[in-house]
Amino acid sequence: MPDLEGNGGGASPLEGSALPAGARDVLPVEAAELRAIEAALTATFAAYGYREVMTPALELAGVMDRAQEGGLGRAFRLFDDQGRVLVLRPDLTIPVARLVASRLGDHPGPVRVSYVARAFRPPPAGRPDAAEQLQAGVELVGLSGPAADAELIGLLVEALRRAGLSGLRVGVGDVSLTQAVLEALEVRSAARVRLGEAAAARNLVAWRRVTRELGLAPAAAALVAELPSLRGGAGVLERVAAAAPAAAGACARLERMLALVDAHGAGAEVLLDLGVQRDWGYYSGIVMEAYAPDVGSPIAMGGRYDGLAGRFGRPRPAVGFAISLDLLHRALAAGAAGADALRTGLVLVGGLDEELAAARTLRARGLPVIALPAGDPSAEGLAGAEGWRYVAHREGGGFSLLDRERGERLDSRTLEEALPWPG
Amino acid sequence: MAGLRLCLPLGALFEECVDALGRAGVDVAPLEAAGRRLVIRGTNGTTFITTRPSDVPTYVESGAADIGVVGKDVLLERSSDVYEVLDLGFGRCRMIYATLAGDDPTPRALEHLGVVRVATKYPVTAMRHFAATGRQAEVVKVNGSVELAPLVGLAHGIVDLTATGRTLRENGLVEREHIFGSSARLIANRVSHKLRAEAVDELVGRLERLAAGTGR
Repeated sequence: MPDLEGNGGGASPLEGSALPAGARDVLPVEAAELRAIEAALTATFAAYGYREVMTPALELAGVMDRAQEGGLGRAFRLFDDQGRVLVLRPDLTIPVARLVASRLGDHPGPVRVSYVARAFRPPPAGRPDAAEQLQAGVELVGLSGPAADAELIGLLVEALRRAGLSGLRVGVGDVSLTQAVLEALEVRSAARVRLGEAAAARNLVAWRRVTRELGLAPAAAALVAELPSLRGGAGVLERVAAAAPAAAGACARLERMLALVDAHGAGAEVLLDLGVQRDWGYYSGIVMEAYAPDVGSPIAMGGRYDGLAGRFGRPRPAVGFAISLDLLHRALAAGAAGADALRTGLVLVGGLDEELAAARTLRARGLPVIALPAGDPSAEGLAGAEGWRYVAHREGGGFSLLDRERGERLDSRTLEEALPWPG
Repeated sequence: MAGLRLCLPLGALFEECVDALGRAGVDVAPLEAAGRRLVIRGTNGTTFITTRPSDVPTYVESGAADIGVVGKDVLLERSSDVYEVLDLGFGRCRMIYATLAGDDPTPRALEHLGVVRVATKYPVTAMRHFAATGRQAEVVKVNGSVELAPLVGLAHGIVDLTATGRTLRENGLVEREHIFGSSARLIANRVSHKLRAEAVDELVGRLERLAAGTGR
């Protein structure tokens, strides 16, 4: 590489530790925050009886490709020693569907499973997308109908609430309702494919252009043109049912689901939005997206894909969602204000050797102790760098304890006496 | 429409864009007094962000802006994950393939060399067009004055945007193939389109009536 300015001859010493595009390290503060979010989410999943599963990072490409029309798309692919093509799992829904179909085939159902794992996708050229995405999600397999859909939406809202998110909105659309309306209005299947492509690409201009070319009666044409902009509550469904009576069944099902979402206590966050549309070849019922203020992409996505399990030989209805932990973390960080609080923990000079007994006693009582050798002068510097609240060293017959939060120094015979214990 | 962050493209579309927003009821007076500032606070909590056209989808996709105005040519080149909400009807132009006047050198290049060399600011679009028509192309990315490339033998032809065809004619080039027609589009961030739905809908509704009224 040509050297443009400064930097004389040698390469920067940091150049040797570069990472692949889209990869990044997670440092202690962020890691602790991510783990706290993860704990809140998994506790909520567990409260609804979702049991955690883990799938391998490597899967056979042929098996994963089977799950989706047109194959998997972007994925890291590699060969094993027998020349078979492997993929680093580009999402979790498909491996979990494979797991449930193949390992839990004789489970009486319904199967409730959860996961927290990384998905891998090569970032498109020139974009800052992460190559690894930490996702937490659930799948409910073996139940169809509005009550199962409502549980998933209620669980999503509750989990995000428990993680501390405010200003949450969940948009819920329904691929099958949209299809039922188009069928009721006798839209040709070729045109439905083109509408599906426009919906998946979020191209409302193309949607309206295809609509104009359908040659529908004015009222029907107006309804179809407006479908992706319809949002609100039960009133929207009444309108759709009145304009397309053959879709009344789908409307009633969705209305029932919204009532149940309300009973789950999630009514205020959830909005019916027929503009939330995803790939019609994969999703077969509701589709949902969760939005947080100050984050430009949905922080969670999901829906019903009743056709997926059948591709692994055990057809069962299924609905699920995945939360992006990185985006959720960004949303929570945007909402947090002010300086970070110090962490409860004690940097103990001599904790590695001469004061080892004191360190053990304090750890046994639940206080993190960061041990240094006796006489180490760097204790306060270390506490500052890592954000620990207390620093102590031996002084005469007792200890000198510094509380960095209050800026107080305290002398006492034992550390246990000097430290404020909760409860 | 209060509180929206609007990303506007500097350059050819800018005037018509400001004009359309003004007629849709957005107070655009602060833009006229903006000077060289890139972020301009409007009234009613509106923020205007001005940037080069090819960056508009980036700002909107990331959520730094709620709404943006950009040519379809840029959208097709970038394939950004945004809502394409409305065809604004202005900024009409055409994406074309052009070569020097006289015999079209393309068939001869394909027959003897197997590939045709094409200079363009739109490498994705050019690649897609030649792949879709079953021809091999060597696409050379240039950043400006594309017309120069065939004049000095850098390429057999160019893929570029033209409104009147004047620059082509002045440089002795003729249009050989029409690739697609472009116009200005209103785009929206995926989250803003839902979280600020009311404000977005109001602006879209007004712009839509304007676009319909001018007889598209």
